[in-house]
Amino acid sequence: MSYQLTIEPLGQTVEVEEGQTILDAALRAGIYLPHACCHGLCATCKVQVVDGEIDHGEASNFALMDFEREEGKCLACCATAQDDLVIEAEIEEDPDAENLPVRDFDGVVSRIETLTPTIKGLWIKLDDPDGMRFQAGQYVNLELPGGIGSRAFSIASQPSAGEVELNVRIVPGGQGTGYIHEQMQAGDRVRITGPYGRFFVKKSARVPVLFMAGGSGLSSPRSMILDLLEEGFDLPITLVYGQRNREELYYHEAFLELAAKHPNFTYVPALSHEPEGSAWEGFRGFVHEAAKAHFDNDFRGCKAYLCGPPLMIESCIATLMQGRLFERDIYTEKFISAADAQQVRSPLFRSI
Amino acid sequence: MDMTVAKKKLGLKEKYKLLTRDLGWEPTYHNKDEVFPYVKYEGIKVHDWEKWEDPFRLTMDAYWKYQAEKERKFYAIIDAHAQNNGHLNITDARYLSALKIFLQAISPGEYCAGKGFARMGREFPGVGTQVACQMQAIDEIRHAQTQIHALSNYNKFYNGFHAFADARDRMWYCTLPRSFFDDAMSAGPFEFMIAIGFSFEYVLTNLLFVPFMSGAAYNGDMATVTFGFSAQSDEARHMTLGLECIKFMLEQDPDNLPIVQNWIDKWFWRGFRLLGVVGTMMDYMLPKRVMSWREAFEIYGIENGGALFKDLARYGIRPPKGWDDAGKALDHMTHQFMLALYQYQFGTAFHSWIPSEEDMAWLSKKYPTTFDKYYRPRWEHIKKLKEAGTPYANMGLAKLCQTCQIPTVFTEPDDPTTLCHREVEYKGETYHFCSDGCQHIFEKEPEKYIQGWLPLAAIFQAPLNGDLGAWMEWVSLADGKDNGDFAGSEDQRNFEAWRNQATSNQ
Ligand SMILES: Cc1cc2nc3c(=O)[nH]c(=O)nc-3n(C[C@H](O)[C@H](O)[C@H](O)COP(=O)(O)OP(=O)(O)OC[C@H]3O[C@@H](n4cnc5c(N)ncnc54)[C@H](O)[C@@H]3O)c2cc1C
Ligand code: FES
Ligand SMILES: [Fe+2]
Ligand SMILES: [Fe+2]
Repeated sequence: MSYQLTIEPLGQTVEVEEGQTILDAALRAGIYLPHACCHGLCATCKVQVVDGEIDHGEASNFALMDFEREEGKCLACCATAQDDLVIEAEIEEDPDAENLPVRDFDGVVSRIETLTPTIKGLWIKLDDPDGMRFQAGQYVNLELPGGIGSRAFSIASQPSAGEVELNVRIVPGGQGTGYIHEQMQAGDRVRITGPYGRFFVKKSARVPVLFMAGGSGLSSPRSMILDLLEEGFDLPITLVYGQRNREELYYHEAFLELAAKHPNFTYVPALSHEPEGSAWEGFRGFVHEAAKAHFDNDFRGCKAYLCGPPLMIESCIATLMQGRLFERDIYTEKFISAADAQQVRSPLFRSI
Repeated sequence: MDMTVAKKKLGLKEKYKLLTRDLGWEPTYHNKDEVFPYVKYEGIKVHDWEKWEDPFRLTMDAYWKYQAEKERKFYAIIDAHAQNNGHLNITDARYLSALKIFLQAISPGEYCAGKGFARMGREFPGVGTQVACQMQAIDEIRHAQTQIHALSNYNKFYNGFHAFADARDRMWYCTLPRSFFDDAMSAGPFEFMIAIGFSFEYVLTNLLFVPFMSGAAYNGDMATVTFGFSAQSDEARHMTLGLECIKFMLEQDPDNLPIVQNWIDKWFWRGFRLLGVVGTMMDYMLPKRVMSWREAFEIYGIENGGALFKDLARYGIRPPKGWDDAGKALDHMTHQFMLALYQYQFGTAFHSWIPSEEDMAWLSKKYPTTFDKYYRPRWEHIKKLKEAGTPYANMGLAKLCQTCQIPTVFTEPDDPTTLCHREVEYKGETYHFCSDGCQHIFEKEPEKYIQGWLPLAAIFQAPLNGDLGAWMEWVSLADGKDNGDFAGSEDQRNFEAWRNQATSNQ
């Protein structure tokens, strides 16, 4: 049994299971609510229940007073739903979020291409002639047959493109990515659900943007860059893009062309394991090292968007911070589920 | 779900801005450096005070409302505790020693934190910071008061509670927390925030309150559980203030990094030393134990500290210098401290005792690599002496550490059979230290620590001139009542008699 939890002022609705706390449901859906002790002692997670019935759970009498209970306050870390709920939390409204509704979209795989030995490009033509509205950087859940369930993939194409493009790296032993690589055919019917996620360019800030991408993390940055260039964004855009070797560096030529065409777009490719003596003349090393060298260890004044494997993200964050760019200007999409992400709570940071 | 109409009420953020902005005026007939004279001398460079985040954005009106309600609840519970003879519900009168140490050593620290924050609220120029410090100042005074009030009920019946304020100033084992807080209060505003916000609140508070509160619950002490809950409800705000301060310093200017690193090294070690008292209380003084000090440190120290240091590494901060030495001390510190307390038990305002067989079995289970090997034999020896009618008392005075001010009773990090002792010569005087950590702290600021007042030295000075009885009077210790072995003490006898009365028909 599950209930609908609507979180104001975002207006976003998420599922909450019987017995699951409001905080847990929100965090798993990628919505940050302030919290600290997670045991009903500190009141950091206090929210207002606007509609619906809750159970207060283990909320301490010192953290949630009687008068507050009467006013409909609750501690999100302990409260569970007894009903569909609407809560109001102290969430800062994001002027760049369009809060697009999530919907199911049916379509057909129009083509599949091998982009690198480990990554396939997948183009989906949606039945709905209007396509799907999304913000560049967001992702979809792709439903797979045979009980595999759905898997998350970022959209690699820009919103104006006619088809939805996904770039899927095969995970060794992975059921879903294995299916896509080995069995999926052009002409197959598929369903995607989306758009999801709060990873998009903070255009309203009007500052230069830096993208750092590695592995299969190129999709979102690519979509965001194509979108920015298309709408005439005139501040500097830099893409630092890393792969292991030249073979894996897909869309290299396309980015070189974009850089030649748009003076405000700079493209910095980096290869970490390219055989010595090969024809590669670009940077050799990891993404964070390439970025540090390119920016001469000074990232002040921009906003950075990171996408890729956890280890890459971690090194990039440390490099940015030591180059004096901090949490308020760093955005990431981690390719791990929200459940994994919650295991270690950071005492200092909320979102990176 | 039509809620478009109600939507225009002020958000907390705007409300907070409106309620604080008038504090942020620009002085016109004084320059800012004169108004905030202490904010620069530590070397911390700040370019933009607006970047100080106060995620709580608690406004004063809301603050008063909450705290008043907490107080009403708290006093209702401790009144009931007093009326129902709650003191007879504790497991055993040995538990009282833990409370006495808490009252003598920790509650005055809360009060010092309150004084410190009151000053910092004045010394920091940022408005968000001023408001947060002001609230924390009031919180800390409230913590001290609620603790004193909760424990005053025990003072009506038992010894050792009556002179906690004198003990705080003059008792040798209380100098550990006292020197910690005096050091913090006499530091500059940014260092104070690291001392209290990082070391005391983040690293220590969980270790202090969570195991201590569960210890109190386990041992039937509802008054303490209540002040614990009441204080805990403020802690998230306190920790956040400290951690935001560290972030703020590190983000404002790269030159702040080495200064912050040095403070983290210093205050980690000071905090770790301070925990010696708490750990000993946990391992030896709770008749019913929740977890060992080692286990608590693994959860709250290593896990929480580890998470924080991992985050701080992104700024280029490395784990505190004393981290490895602390790890090596984990299996020894509480045993060595308890042995010290026992052998000077004629000079403590609480009772100690030789651990029972059952206690020792528990200790060897919790400290499998050290207790049986190093500490059980000493307790057995002490027990034999006592049975022979020649109980062991150490009438000598150990060297005192010039930094943390306790007797040098701990051992070398890599050799638990050799006492650790360091010396430094400074301006023709020799100063002693209990550890490398304390020595390094001294060497960074010798002019500060040579001014340290070590109250135990008073015993050899005029007017006490080595007279133990006069010293006891000076520290307000009632000989034969407050001090000595638990076995045969007035507390033990009274508790048993009263409990019998309460639970039988005689
Ligand atoms: C928001 C989001 C966006 C994403 N965007 C993309 C994208 O654009 N392109 C893309 O290729 N992938 C992307 N991913 C990752 C993708 O969802 C997973 O690789 C996929 O779900 C794996 O499914 P599977 O059935 O093949 O593996 P499973 O059968 O689910 O897992 C097989 C094994 O691989 C491990 N595993 C699964 N996923 C990962 C991972 N990401 N990293 C390391 N180990 C893993 C599992 O723990 C398990 O041991 C994204 C993930 C998220 C959360
Ligand atoms: S997070 Fe502390 S009360 Fe909920
Ligand atoms: Fe406190
Ligand atoms: Fe010391």
